[in-house]
Amino acid sequence: MPPEPAAGARLPVKLHQKVCLVLTEDAVLAEELLARKKLAQEVAGRLTPTALLVRPGRVDAVVEELRKAGHTPQVVGPARPPA
Amino acid sequence: MPTPETTATVDPWAERARAALTRYDEDIVRLVAGRLVKPRGHWPVDDLVERSLAALRNAPGIDRRLKELPPACRKLLALLGVLRRPDAAVGPLLSLLAALGHTEGVQPLLTLFEEGLLFPDLPEGAVPLRAFEGWLGQAAAAGVPLHVFTLPLVAERARGTDLGLPAPPTVEASFTATAREADGLDWPVRMAVVWQQVAAAPLRRTQNHDFFKRDLARLRGDPLLAGPGAEALAELPDTGPLAVLLAHASGLLREQEGELTAADFPPAWNDGLFPTLTCVWTALPEAKGWQPVRGWVGPGDGEDPYPAAGLLCLLLLARLPETAWARPADLEAWVREHHPFWAGRSLPEDEANAWAAPWLLGLAYPLKIVQATTDPDAEGGWLVRLSPYGRWLLAGGPPPAAPPAFRQTLLVQPNYEVIAYRQGLTPSLLASLSHVAAWKSAGAACMLELNAEQVYRGLELGQTLESVMRLLNQHGMRQVPDAVADGLRTWSNKRERIVVYPRALLLEFASAAELEEAASRGLIGVRLTDRLALVSDESQMQYRHFRLTGNRDYAAPPERCLDVDDDGLTLAVDAGRADLLLETELARLTEPLPAGDDGRRRYRLTQATLRKAVSNGFPLPVLDEWFVKRSGEPLSPAARLLATATQQAAPRITRAVVVEVADEATADGLVQWPVTGALIERRLGPTALLVADENVGPLRERMDELGLPADGG
Repeated sequence: MPPEPAAGARLPVKLHQKVCLVLTEDAVLAEELLARKKLAQEVAGRLTPTALLVRPGRVDAVVEELRKAGHTPQVVGPARPPA
Repeated sequence: MPTPETTATVDPWAERARAALTRYDEDIVRLVAGRLVKPRGHWPVDDLVERSLAALRNAPGIDRRLKELPPACRKLLALLGVLRRPDAAVGPLLSLLAALGHTEGVQPLLTLFEEGLLFPDLPEGAVPLRAFEGWLGQAAAAGVPLHVFTLPLVAERARGTDLGLPAPPTVEASFTATAREADGLDWPVRMAVVWQQVAAAPLRRTQNHDFFKRDLARLRGDPLLAGPGAEALAELPDTGPLAVLLAHASGLLREQEGELTAADFPPAWNDGLFPTLTCVWTALPEAKGWQPVRGWVGPGDGEDPYPAAGLLCLLLLARLPETAWARPADLEAWVREHHPFWAGRSLPEDEANAWAAPWLLGLAYPLKIVQATTDPDAEGGWLVRLSPYGRWLLAGGPPPAAPPAFRQTLLVQPNYEVIAYRQGLTPSLLASLSHVAAWKSAGAACMLELNAEQVYRGLELGQTLESVMRLLNQHGMRQVPDAVADGLRTWSNKRERIVVYPRALLLEFASAAELEEAASRGLIGVRLTDRLALVSDESQMQYRHFRLTGNRDYAAPPERCLDVDDDGLTLAVDAGRADLLLETELARLTEPLPAGDDGRRRYRLTQATLRKAVSNGFPLPVLDEWFVKRSGEPLSPAARLLATATQQAAPRITRAVVVEVADEATADGLVQWPVTGALIERRLGPTALLVADENVGPLRERMDELGLPADGG
């Protein structure tokens, strides 16, 4: 077992950068999204019941597909890397 | 009154001038600095550049320098002052000078370059400029459009220089006629509509900056853009493409890789009507490819004379007394006679080709630059003169008074329609409404609609439910109806239901305890799992509280990061190489185990997890491939057994006896001799033979007969 962190110590952490992620309000909504074939094929994995990992580079397609499905996703940060 | 040139800091233009000076050859820098600062010694070039820039910030010094210039040079700078933008294309500028009677060609430009009051727009990385004539010649030969610029202060000080224009013939207006003046909102409304449409669907441009056919048809056919305008006194062709040009040139749209997209509304839109109109005024010279009679003709190679011709008409009006009227045709006649584009050409001058009236009444009038009244001598004709705003713009008149403010000008109806009465509309309100409500009509009373799509777009652009409600209530004649407020709330809440992070930063902690510790210190935002946290804004990440044990790009291909124990079922994770997808994969295939003594996370394949994975779209070949990708080895036999046991043929359990002989040759003989061979089931090894239970007796008898009696059994 890893040792308990000492208070105030620098915490060891691994960074995962540029992660394409969709968070839903609840698991049922995530299921609803995964039931759409076009969305499901862009999802690389389900991190938690409400967190879907999107295939790298496919986030624009996911946002477009969500909008087509009548959702109004909140996109946090740039959808494309800055030029 | 604030204008784009006075509200903006001088620095960008000074920086541009500094960049131009540093691209001059040293001799040229010394020549220019010699005129601007008259150095007494041999100063370093850098000093000369800085002192030259300082001289260009000194208003009395600039006034002295202007007085010493030849008239053509003063007029050229005055034109930049009138245009309210310190940069211009060389071609139209020289045409304007020629129309003012100066046919010296590029000489005024060369003089101003040497005087340090004008700069050529040199590309970055260009070879040092050795001669101004060379720049003009090379660029002209290459067909590159040339641009020049000065500093805003120089243009401002030169504004007001007598351009030597004559006063056009005046016409007596009817005693009963009243002067008409537009509210100035037609074009800001059109540009706001363009902004909204481009925000929804970017416009693509061809390589030569033309519109694609489909886009052009859309712009031409759009009733909001192509209508005559509520206030225009003359109908203009192709107002849609013109609105796009003006929106682009005034900063509402930006072009990136051949695509026009919506930018932020320029700050002038928050400063009031006149700063906004001045922002549009500065954009007029960029309206190339559009003509007042033919409409959109596309960006050709030749000179487009109409922006300059329109300016000349207005400059002629500036020569009139405040109350005097002129006929557009008289202004046009003067321009046709003096502007080099028409001079010497035999163009039909019939009424159908008259461009001044549509330009003045369809563009300058709605922009509040001119006033109009009916022409007593021509039915349907108009007379024009500069408005107070036009006189401030072009004739050195006092700043016009800001229009009266009517704060409550919106009527939000229960059917989600918003009526905006023009009396209280301001550019700032136009901009705010364009963010959240879709334009439906732009007549005397504008109509917009609050709908999910547009509200959502507004929220994407930084609006909030509170800011939308505040906008509608502050400017509404009545409180926002409950049904509309509920609708806005629903749309806003709906947006919160799905959040997409295109480039999120995730922190993976070694243990849940460490994540808890980070949470208690307020170092993480959204908690995803017991070991993963999301940082939505990387700029807020406080790295000093963390020790990085790894850094992984989500887009990088997966690596081998699993070690398989001897049992073939227990998997140990190499945390340094693991990626996020591994987490999701392990969750589908394994069950977690307590971490081992080495601290590595461990998972176990079980028959239940494997069977579930196989039935949930992880068939054996995919499983095999995944094992190779993640561990470097195919699926272990144990795991394969667990995964496929139920699909195998049923094993047969029988009783049998193993006969061990002394050597391999004896075994060979027993197998080959038909009498004993028929009694042997299978050879298990070099000296071991498998014999069915019922054949043990007969085999023993045959071996006794051979003199090879067996022990045991």
